[in-house]
Amino acid sequence: MKFLSAFYRRKIALAGLLIIGVLVVSALLAPYIATFDPQEMNPVDKLRSPDGTYYFGTDNFGRDIFSRVVFGARTSLAGSAGVILFSLSIGVLIGVSSGYFRKIEPYLMRLIDVLMAFPPLLLALVLVSILGRGMGNVIIAVGATYLTRTTRIVYGLTLKLREEPYIEAAVASGVKQKWIILKHILPNMMSPLIVQATFTFAFSLLDMAALDFLGLGIPPSIPSWGNMLSEGRMYLTRAPWLLVFPGACIVLTVLSFNLVGDVLRDRLDPHFRRDIEGV
Amino acid sequence: MNRTRTILLWSLCFLVIAAGAAFAAEKGGVLRVAVIDEPPTLDQHVVTSDLTTMIAQHIFEGLYTFDSKYSPVPLLVKSEEMKDDGKTAVLSLREGVKFHNGKEMDAGDVLASLERWGKFGARGPVLFSNLEKVEATGKFEVTLTFKAPFAPWKNLLAFMNGGPVIYPKDVASGAEKTPITPEQYIGTGPYKFAERNPGRYIKLVRNEDYAARTEAADGYAGRREALFDEIRFIPVPDVGTRVNGVKAGDYDYAEQILGDLFDSLKEDPSVVTTVNQGANQGLMFFNSREGVLKDNFKLRQALQAAVNMEPVLQSAIGPAELWKASGSFMPESTLWYSKAGLDRFSANNPELTKNLAKEAGYNGEKITLMASTSYKFHYDSTLVIVKQLQAAGFNIDHQIYDWATLISKRGDPTQWDIFFTHHGFVPDPILFTFMSESYPGWWITETKRALAAEFAGTLDEAKRREVWDRIQALVYEEVPVMKTGDHFTYDIYSPKVHGLSESSLIWPKFWGVSFGK
Amino acid sequence: MFSYILRRIWSMIPSLLLASIIVFSFIHLIPGDPAQIMLGDQATPEQVQGLREAMGLDRPLYVQYGRWLSGVVKGDFGTSIFFHQPVLHVILDRAETSVLIAVFSMLLIILVGVPIGILSAVRYNSRIDQLFSGLSMLFASVPTFWLGLNLMLLFSVMLRWLPTSGFPSILESGDWSNLRYLVLPCITLAAPNSALIIRLTRSSMLDVAKADYVKTARAKGLSEGAVNIRHIFRNSLISVVSALGFTFVALMAGTVVTETVFSLPGIGRLVVESVLRRDYPTIQGIILIIAFLYMVINLLVDLSFALLDPRIRYS
Repeated sequence: MKFLSAFYRRKIALAGLLIIGVLVVSALLAPYIATFDPQEMNPVDKLRSPDGTYYFGTDNFGRDIFSRVVFGARTSLAGSAGVILFSLSIGVLIGVSSGYFRKIEPYLMRLIDVLMAFPPLLLALVLVSILGRGMGNVIIAVGATYLTRTTRIVYGLTLKLREEPYIEAAVASGVKQKWIILKHILPNMMSPLIVQATFTFAFSLLDMAALDFLGLGIPPSIPSWGNMLSEGRMYLTRAPWLLVFPGACIVLTVLSFNLVGDVLRDRLDPHFRRDIEGV
Repeated sequence: MNRTRTILLWSLCFLVIAAGAAFAAEKGGVLRVAVIDEPPTLDQHVVTSDLTTMIAQHIFEGLYTFDSKYSPVPLLVKSEEMKDDGKTAVLSLREGVKFHNGKEMDAGDVLASLERWGKFGARGPVLFSNLEKVEATGKFEVTLTFKAPFAPWKNLLAFMNGGPVIYPKDVASGAEKTPITPEQYIGTGPYKFAERNPGRYIKLVRNEDYAARTEAADGYAGRREALFDEIRFIPVPDVGTRVNGVKAGDYDYAEQILGDLFDSLKEDPSVVTTVNQGANQGLMFFNSREGVLKDNFKLRQALQAAVNMEPVLQSAIGPAELWKASGSFMPESTLWYSKAGLDRFSANNPELTKNLAKEAGYNGEKITLMASTSYKFHYDSTLVIVKQLQAAGFNIDHQIYDWATLISKRGDPTQWDIFFTHHGFVPDPILFTFMSESYPGWWITETKRALAAEFAGTLDEAKRREVWDRIQALVYEEVPVMKTGDHFTYDIYSPKVHGLSESSLIWPKFWGVSFGK
Repeated sequence: MFSYILRRIWSMIPSLLLASIIVFSFIHLIPGDPAQIMLGDQATPEQVQGLREAMGLDRPLYVQYGRWLSGVVKGDFGTSIFFHQPVLHVILDRAETSVLIAVFSMLLIILVGVPIGILSAVRYNSRIDQLFSGLSMLFASVPTFWLGLNLMLLFSVMLRWLPTSGFPSILESGDWSNLRYLVLPCITLAAPNSALIIRLTRSSMLDVAKADYVKTARAKGLSEGAVNIRHIFRNSLISVVSALGFTFVALMAGTVVTETVFSLPGIGRLVVESVLRRDYPTIQGIILIIAFLYMVINLLVDLSFALLDPRIRYS
């Protein structure tokens, strides 16, 4: 309840939460909400402006934009969720072990530092070029660019938590290291990491859209907002609806996650706030 | 009588002056051409990129070129003489043609250029494998001796794209596989290479000492006149920016505009549209070396019978003026146009497909189809085709790559069954990539070899066309390649540019073009 | 302090070496062949193989790496496969655009982001704060090419105030009026980034405002303005400066989308196009230089901490 009341005080963030809810629901229920098969082509009806049949108009194949946007929510949300899962799981593994096992720390962190020196979009681009286009590969490529930052944060948090009196006390009383990590370090890391994840969610959505723009993102056969923007960008003057709807979806989603992340961040223990990257 | 004559004379004078004033092309100015990318090199011998040719044709010239009917006519050659029943061609060169470095062109330059092109050029081996020897038989005379009469030689010499343009001897004889460097961009053309500023522009300036032909301009042939002081080819990768740039007056000409913008741009008073008549064709190559399609002609015919090209072209290209669902590999505007085998083109016949697939013994084996997103219409075309094939019951695995990856993957026959590419206009069917045995797809059958040999050895034009008919019929039977149709790219330019015709033949050219008053 | 800087610079060498190995192995893992790309669709296999040999691409990778590395040590980054020019020359050519864009965008970001951030923090939760928070969130969420194309449509095509695209060199022409070509790109880049800086300035000021020493300063009876400027802003600068530092590096390399839209000859486009063309030496050169730049800026940011916060000392 305390959680909800924080949102209640900032109405705009509540709106963000609602939008996220709507998006998740429409992603889950996409086949029931969509009015057409998102892949179905009707060359006769190509580039139709929005009307009663095609709520958001059609593209150059005569595919229904509305249905593609609805199915695109699936791809885009799943993509960002995948990036978070990938970067968090591996980031926690490397970050915590670097914080605990002094022998490997210099090597691992040096590697992470070097990887951080590469421009993130470029790193993702090279990785996709190696792995090939594909949903999983894009998640790995974008996830890898967030992995470095997540690892840094987890490493910092681990060092900080180790100094906490109650953990030092636990160590002194002879609790095994494995248990300290599982029972104390990881749970205490959760809330700052969740805040970090909301921001990662927002930014990775933009990153994936940028990869799609460069023609090295999710395969175009899967409808995603980024792909729709990139395919539609040539039609800016001829058929602006190709850009407006997926564009608005990206903006709204990113905005909502930022707003929610903002509220969560304000509620966070100030002790950890500096460790989080989001703004 | 006298009076009448005076009036007549005066009016004639007026007419000439008026006509002169109307046609007096304004000399000077800088033409800014927005192009899609940067060319890797301007070395015409080794590269077949259309962008390279569009730029390089202003700098370099070949022995022959094409008139508006796509017939080869002399350019640097003055006259030719055929001997030994077509086995020997004696070419007399024009005298007084100067390279941009001031030296006069002679047979030594031509010989060195032809030899370099024949050994390392993109299309050189096609000619040179039929050539016994080429030699300089005078200061301005070159003699070609063929192993057997070889009909397409003049077309091959006239085609600039990957073709034998003439470099100075010291450039050509030192050059091998690697493209020549910008300092070596020395030709005989109406414009000179001035500067390459990577990422910004390629700059050409007028060649004041240009030795123009005297005949009236016709296609690429005849008089060429450089009217601009300077031409800049500027890479502008985004098509929206190219359109905006011409509308806002930042560029004077922009190439390769999106098909679906054609109708609105045609109405737009701030730009003029021009369609390139040299048709591109979408081609799907079938793997003849490995895999499920290897020599299963029935299965290939089944695939061929399943598709309907009209919706493909409509989605991928746009307005009907910019495409033609035509199965003839040579466009209708040429004498090579052929209807052989066309009843099998774009058949859209589910019944036939089913029967053929059954005869072929097809049991849902996976067929891998590769396409690239680097060219929008490649991906767009295959998207519709794959839909149609899947609806017809084929198990298609649609693989998407960037262009660089695709052309590397297609070299390995185990990786794919079909890949999509496009083919530019060629003046002679012998230049089609599917006629080559080394091009991925590797179409090599006894029947094809025999016909190809007959095609190369036939001299009579009418008979050659007949053989080509039979080759095209074979293509529709053995299906080494499946054509989607002809499509025409179009460009836009500012209304202040004068002298561009309503459509260009293959590549737009900027000699004889100027800014109006 | 001096020995600290020396140590940091010394430790960059193994990092750069590691970076170069990673880059080298990564880009050679990408399928594709620069010779084939250069010669085009219709090149014969023999022609491609010949060019590969002429360019030395057929040699074992460790040999290629060794040759490249020994060149780099002598300051020679090799020759671009695509441009047939020294890589360093190609990069420096593009650096003008990138540096100018980065500098002017940074100026915009600082001039817009920091004051608005301060204002929002001082007027925490007021109408103004909410307005700017909303706006900055919006700008941080808009895809750049969407913003860029629309700005171009409005200011270049409709109003004709500014050129649509391209950027003629100022170094070559000496014509400073060419800066007008960079106005729209800089706005396009500054919009999302200043939004981020607004949020960062605001939130770090709010954090500092809750700190004990600020409460003490207030209790001592300092005026609200003095507290805001002298204590809160100064102390929140640390995180702002570090964010600005990394924004600068990002602007040097990560602006490919904006550069494509405005067809600017910058580093971002060069590197992406080089990946698509498999121009190995150019990719290696740029990434190594960017990584070096990142490390240098990292050092400068750390040093600026010492200037801003007297409690931080490096030794």
